[in-house]
Amino acid sequence: YRDLHTFELQAPTRLIEWACGNRVCVAGYGQSDGNEILQLIPPPTLLTKETQGLCPERDFKVECGGFSERPVYSLKYVPDTSLLVTSGPPDSSLQVWQVSAEDSDVIKSVSTLAAENDTGQSWAKIATISARAPWVLHGSRLDRVQITEVESRKNVYTAASRGSEELSGLAFLDCNTLLLCCTIGQLCLADIRQPQSLVEAVSVPLAPCSEQWCMGTRHGAQGLEPSSQPVARLSSRGLLTLTDLRKTSEFLALAKARVPSPGSGAEFLCVSWAPALEGYLAISGFDGTVHVYDTQSWDSSGREAEPVFVHKGHAFGGAGGSRDLPQVTVHTWHLQKPRTLLSAASDGSLHVWDWVQPCGKC
Amino acid sequence: MPEIKVTPLGAGQDVGRSCVLVSIAGKNVMLDCGMHMGYNDDRRFPDFSYITQNGRLTDFLDCVIISHFHLDHCGALPYFSEMVGYDGPIYMTHPTKAICPILLEDYRKITVDKKGETNFFTSQMIKDCMKKVVAVHLHQTVQVDEELEIKAYYAGHVLGAAMFQIKVGCESVVYTGDYNMTPDRHLGAAWIDKCRPDLLITESTYATTIRDSKRCRERDFLKKVHETVERGGKVLIPVFALGRAQELCILLETFWERMNLKAPIYFSTGLTEKANHYYKLFITWTNQKIRKTFVQRNMFEFKHIKAFDRAFADNPGPMVVFATPGMLHAGQSLQIFRKWAGNEKNMVIMPGYCVQGTVGHKILSGQRKLEMEGRQILEVKMQVEYMSFSAHADAKGIMQLIRQAEPRNVLLVHGEAKKMEFLKQKIEQEFHVSCFMPANGETTTILTNPCIPVDISLGLLKRETAIGPLPDAKKPKLMHGTLLMKDNSFRLVSPEQALKELGLAEHQLRFTCRVHIQDPRKEHETVLRVYNHLKGILKDYSVQHLPDGSITVESILIQATAHSEDQGTKVLLVSWTYQDEELGSYLTSLLKKGLPQST
Repeated sequence: YRDLHTFELQAPTRLIEWACGNRVCVAGYGQSDGNEILQLIPPPTLLTKETQGLCPERDFKVECGGFSERPVYSLKYVPDTSLLVTSGPPDSSLQVWQVSAEDSDVIKSVSTLAAENDTGQSWAKIATISARAPWVLHGSRLDRVQITEVESRKNVYTAASRGSEELSGLAFLDCNTLLLCCTIGQLCLADIRQPQSLVEAVSVPLAPCSEQWCMGTRHGAQGLEPSSQPVARLSSRGLLTLTDLRKTSEFLALAKARVPSPGSGAEFLCVSWAPALEGYLAISGFDGTVHVYDTQSWDSSGREAEPVFVHKGHAFGGAGGSRDLPQVTVHTWHLQKPRTLLSAASDGSLHVWDWVQPCGKC
Repeated sequence: MPEIKVTPLGAGQDVGRSCVLVSIAGKNVMLDCGMHMGYNDDRRFPDFSYITQNGRLTDFLDCVIISHFHLDHCGALPYFSEMVGYDGPIYMTHPTKAICPILLEDYRKITVDKKGETNFFTSQMIKDCMKKVVAVHLHQTVQVDEELEIKAYYAGHVLGAAMFQIKVGCESVVYTGDYNMTPDRHLGAAWIDKCRPDLLITESTYATTIRDSKRCRERDFLKKVHETVERGGKVLIPVFALGRAQELCILLETFWERMNLKAPIYFSTGLTEKANHYYKLFITWTNQKIRKTFVQRNMFEFKHIKAFDRAFADNPGPMVVFATPGMLHAGQSLQIFRKWAGNEKNMVIMPGYCVQGTVGHKILSGQRKLEMEGRQILEVKMQVEYMSFSAHADAKGIMQLIRQAEPRNVLLVHGEAKKMEFLKQKIEQEFHVSCFMPANGETTTILTNPCIPVDISLGLLKRETAIGPLPDAKKPKLMHGTLLMKDNSFRLVSPEQALKELGLAEHQLRFTCRVHIQDPRKEHETVLRVYNHLKGILKDYSVQHLPDGSITVESILIQATAHSEDQGTKVLLVSWTYQDEELGSYLTSLLKKGLPQST
């Protein structure tokens, strides 16, 4: 490690979202109400490019907070507005909140966006964009995907129904293109200018036992076509596939991560690309660790890949003697500092760490 | 409704200069009397004109309580007691009483000698002020006067810091001062019992921070020290005599032991003895571990830390020195600083807040060329680092304390208005209590529901418990009695006894109602008909036909007479007492319906 900071949140979070001004947002996902949404200002050490060892301010500050009656499983800021959208069980509706950091430090609930044909079974995955207007893309199943305008609550687009598979993630590739990932693994592309088309991308290799998949997209450096960035998919068995969306019939690369027995659920599976480091991605959700991989050496053979770095802090952090080892619920990369990550675990810990490239690699 | 009034004179929505006025059941108490370290003029003192515009404050305040020796809680005390004027009691814990005057004197020296201020308290004033101090022990109930009592609770934070409970009758307020809910190496965590005060006044400085884990801070501190020492540099750590210094000493000692380091660590002379002396004196104020090991080995007698001698500063090679005073404004630490500042291999680590105007403050703000006496310019090439180890409660700690004490209301001080809204909501939601955050000079009124103790007569108690279901310890029981209030005593007695004592007679209220019934038969036959009718309907009641021709239903009397003018109409007189109102009116309406034909 070059640096490691550990913090303890009052309640564990399963999301870490970046907001403008280098703010970070976390939220509770407990069953009882009174879950807090906290927008935090990271300590200056994390904001500067160089790491300073000793600094007067080393703490996260809660800039503002809100109370949610339901567990918060997903949260996305709506760009260019002071709003954010959250979703969580028991149904697929979305909650819209207003952040007004100058007037008061309370994040106020503004409205609820109900999903059409809400079956009340699962929670919606969300993505936001503010190209033509502040939009939120949401849905819990493949046949329930829609885009709603946040302020007017009007439905702008509904995806053609193709099947009722549950979704594990969705994203805007650009202001017209959507990418959807199902829990059984398939990727679908859609163009919102052509509501009827839903292109299916390559499926995943068949597996003997059912596994669940999630995806990670990369918001690449400016100037690059979003669809030229490979999409990573991670399965609950540790399989990783990289796909180029322009050539969806084959895999760019296939690898296997060394993970503990696939007994653990897929609830916290998370894969993400490093925004400032070409070809690096991180995975978590199997246990109390976060793995960092360099995908540039991968091929399509499906061999086991060696992680470049493994963060084990969460497994050691908590009070000694606890029966359940904490599980990492989410991780995210720092937007500017190339090797800095933030990770949170089920025991409420929040770590910020900066790993050092092991010797022998450039 | 009885009420408690709270007015912050400092620290209302502002950090520094803590001073809170509490008015409870006619008693006025001042909590803390701090100085604002950021101002150089009158703004650094709380505004005492709020209490009274003119003259001395002794008549207006019943007592003053100081929570701990930090200057933002006791810095204005000599000014308040000697320059504004107060001769009443000042309460604080024993360690606070011992250490306060040292810090006050130190601060006076900087302000007057270094900065040349004139309107400031003198050394004599500090001494005179401390003469008014009454020291208290933890958990000792101190009677300030017949009605007002106070009790101190352990607060952690620094040696001698306490939270105070102020109680008048059955109304109480708890003031926390600064506290810490997590133990550290030399102090324990704050603790309070479930005293259920009407109001809890708590600081909220760190409520919005999510603190870096202590391990990380310590690790970084040790890393810096180690790195400097490894490359042959010298580390200067300016400290106050007491406070974080002990914490850092224990930390370094343990680290040196573990890493088997050889570089010497020094602690200023005078400082070591004094600190040791105080810690031995107040050993009960340190944490469990220290007390336990104290018997075998004095935690404050270190193996690797030795007494410092001025000459050592010139020794070559690495070393670590703890020297006073803490802000590099005078004395030994400044001397050492001047010697070592020019070498970039050296390092100075400031472990706490520095007042404006001091060298400490200047170098922390980034100044690297300092003007010393005699117009000498000192170039600072050594590394300057800042490490805050202060111990305050964060949001989680505040919630814990509220959970322990179970107050009915909460008042927040020491935070900024905008940044406390979220905490206020959090407290209100979780504990369902009201949460207030007044500004300086703003009075908050808190309504209380005091319990009024009443003596109940034994006879009444016995009688009431015999009626109805058996008494249940968990359920309130409704009793009927008469409340007699005489002078200051309240008694609950049976009505009969009350009448007897007051020499009054009991009046009986009796109602009579006439019901006309069409019945040509003789009176006694009508009566029989009525009797049978009622007996048939009122099966659960005692219906009796008396020899004198009247009917009784329970205690209600029914008599029949013939109507004076019309023989075919019988007049039933129904008569009942006030107690039987319900049955009486029921009977009346029943009879009004008429008798059934069959009988």
